[in-house]
Amino acid sequence: MRFPRAKEHDPLVADLKRALAPDRVRSAPLERSIMSRDASIFEGGRAGPVCFPLSTEEVQRCVQTAGRHGRAVVPRGAGTGLAGGAVPLEAPVVVVTTKMNRLLSVDADRRMAWVQPGMINLDLSRAVAAHGLHFAPDPSSQQVCSLGGNVGTNAGGPHCLAHGVTSAHVLAVEVVLMSGEAVVLGDPRGFAPGLDLRGAYVGSEGMLGVTTAVAVRLTPNPPTVQTLLLAFDSVDAAAQTVSAVVADGIVPAAIEMMDNNIIRAVEEFVGAGFPTEAAAVVIAEVDGLPGGVAAEAGRVAELAAARGASVRWAADEQERALLWKGRKSAFGAIARIKPDYYLHDTVVPRTRLAEIMNRVYEIVEDHGLLVMNVFHAGDGNLHPMLLFDRREPGVMARVHAAGAAIIEASLAVGGVLSGEHGIGIEKRDFMPQMFSEDDLDAQARLRRAFDPDEMANPGKVLPLGASCAEVNALGQAPEGVWG
Amino acid sequence: MSAAGSSGVGSDDSAPKPALGIDPEALASCVACGLCLPHCPTFRATGEEWASPRGRINAMRQVQDHGAPVDRTFLAAMDTCVQCRGCEPACPSGVPFGSMMEAVQAAAARGGRRGWRRWGFRILGRRRLLNFASRLLAVAQRLRLVPSKRLGLPRIPLAQRRLRASGHDVWLFTGCVMDAWQRSVHAAVKRVVESTGTGVALPGAGGGCCGALSRHAGLEDHARLLAVRTMAALPGDAPILVDSAGCGAALKEYGELLGTPEAEAFSARVSDVHEWLAQHAERLPPPSGSSRPPTVAVHDPCHLRHVQRVHQSVAEVLARYAIVVPLDDDGLCCGAGGAYAAMQPELAASIRARKLSAIERGGADIVASANPGCTIHLANAGVGVRHPLEIVDEVLEYER
Repeated sequence: MRFPRAKEHDPLVADLKRALAPDRVRSAPLERSIMSRDASIFEGGRAGPVCFPLSTEEVQRCVQTAGRHGRAVVPRGAGTGLAGGAVPLEAPVVVVTTKMNRLLSVDADRRMAWVQPGMINLDLSRAVAAHGLHFAPDPSSQQVCSLGGNVGTNAGGPHCLAHGVTSAHVLAVEVVLMSGEAVVLGDPRGFAPGLDLRGAYVGSEGMLGVTTAVAVRLTPNPPTVQTLLLAFDSVDAAAQTVSAVVADGIVPAAIEMMDNNIIRAVEEFVGAGFPTEAAAVVIAEVDGLPGGVAAEAGRVAELAAARGASVRWAADEQERALLWKGRKSAFGAIARIKPDYYLHDTVVPRTRLAEIMNRVYEIVEDHGLLVMNVFHAGDGNLHPMLLFDRREPGVMARVHAAGAAIIEASLAVGGVLSGEHGIGIEKRDFMPQMFSEDDLDAQARLRRAFDPDEMANPGKVLPLGASCAEVNALGQAPEGVWG
Repeated sequence: MSAAGSSGVGSDDSAPKPALGIDPEALASCVACGLCLPHCPTFRATGEEWASPRGRINAMRQVQDHGAPVDRTFLAAMDTCVQCRGCEPACPSGVPFGSMMEAVQAAAARGGRRGWRRWGFRILGRRRLLNFASRLLAVAQRLRLVPSKRLGLPRIPLAQRRLRASGHDVWLFTGCVMDAWQRSVHAAVKRVVESTGTGVALPGAGGGCCGALSRHAGLEDHARLLAVRTMAALPGDAPILVDSAGCGAALKEYGELLGTPEAEAFSARVSDVHEWLAQHAERLPPPSGSSRPPTVAVHDPCHLRHVQRVHQSVAEVLARYAIVVPLDDDGLCCGAGGAYAAMQPELAASIRARKLSAIERGGADIVASANPGCTIHLANAGVGVRHPLEIVDEVLEYER
């Protein structure tokens, strides 16, 4: 694509263009403003020059050039994050990995592959399908989100209940540190001596460096899959069924819950025959060898029916795909009701699900908002979506107040701040409610062990003043970040 | 929570004027989830946000809601859109991206752009002039005076046989460039429709260009003029069959373009020819089974798959006479996009490269494309491409 170029006056941009290629550094005001957002509700970000490297060496050159100019670096994949992790603050150099999207090597015997960070999650599973393998973490955005972003947020997904989240599927990562040095953390053979730096890196939200390659573990495709759609007259009965299934000793491949509002929005989009009059539905999936699958699916159906559910068995792969399409497009489908949403992500003990959901409904009603719930019930990972229209005066304040109340309620029953979306900007200032000063200091020191000057994705995750040394470039959150 | 509510994004700004004329509700309906990105051919080719539907909507908002200038960066982001509308079925929020992009193009046209296209597309509405110019072009091609390959032109026939009506049961819409350059396709389509025992009528004078290219370039007045002329050339109640996916989509949207009950009624009569044949499949002659059926990869033209959403009917009809091989690229655009391949040759070629590898993986004898633009664009890369009904016609001819 040929974009018009004016003569370059900014020395940083000129240096970056020399380090990469003129057409892979963008700096026009519109180009930068488009890059100042991700899929979260956070506005007020400000991007500096935007770079599109093709290789690890080019990422090194971007980072070194930024460093010479004293500018921070924000890595970005497909921009589908919901916590504002890729929203650039204070005009840093944005390093976008979407053009680094190749599958570098596949070792089918050892069930692993090296991939570039910009590769799309679902593209990886498709590319290795011929070997009967797939990449297990399947966020709802899997058709678009990048593996680098999955590593950054330690992403989850419906099928992470049985298989574990991203960290369980990353053997090693190649990282460009802010010094410009490229290092490999972990070992692609699956056993690295010494400290588990790979474990520290996965989920670090771009604060330790830029991911330039990932060694992923691949999972064999299950020989048999059975998906059930369970429809309930009450949210309580649905939540109790989820607890009962797990208590029965079954670990379903996935067990997902949607409430009535979201069922109706999704059904309008996919037409999968979701029961629009049900108070809640649970999508339960069991996989494995045929005998085991039949027995477990039967038991799930029994437990659900005992709590008043009507049970539908997905008859074939097409029906199964349609049910999952409904589940995975839930977030986008809400715009059919309101143009904006704030998707929350907290985790509560599974046994407290019904109680906390009722609390969420109360909180939202108190703040005069609409809510829809669609979430990973199996691991107690709540995703209440607050619906609003930001053009309505004063609505943002109510949205944030309701969000804060949901976090408090979740923490009060022994939950945690985030299940899988990460902390980013969104939950940064809630960190002290969850962690002690010592905890936060330890996290800040770990970060500085990788990035002494805090030049990688500054202003995210750790609240300002988290470190005892009070080293922080930012001062305070820029005006307008919270809408 | 430092600045909750203080900046009030878009909440109480002094109602900025809709500079681009995009419906404000439509513009607000994108939640920026990004699920459209992998379905956008220019995002797939570049990996760059401003070459994606979400990025383009963000840019539209910057201009319409926040007063950013309509500068060359903005226009470059808009003009690189193929207008394939692959983002629309992928969007869970139902954002009407196609009509938003048309509004932007219309605003750009009002701003005095589109100089040569304004005149160039006029020729499409004048059938005799177009046919004359095409003959000149064909002669020039034979004399090697035209760099056809670089311009993305097919080999244009020197002379074409006249089509003759065979009845009044259905109309066959013949269009402009397709009639001037690929009339043999119409002839094949007509024979296949006639094989169901249906008499085919042909449009009279004025039944030329449907106006799709003008509309995509934002030349709405010209598009309306051509729509009115096309409607007049296809009177009565008989179904109107279209063998070009782009034209079919345009005809089906006349109701929305003109906003009159007559246009609505006209649009309701329009079917893609495969859609119609699939509905009348029982009347199609059975394959005799005496010849080896060809292996065909079906390329879904965007305006059949994403706009008309009847692409399945091509495979349904073809499957009676051929072994159909699906392509594994989720129906991503080939990069032809009406005049796009000529306007954005580099991007069009990189989009096409992705399609070519999907075609190669499919391993078919031949590719079927129900849209002339795609056919020309793919054939220029050396792919063997035919209209689906040319393939059916050949099988029927062989067995007759």
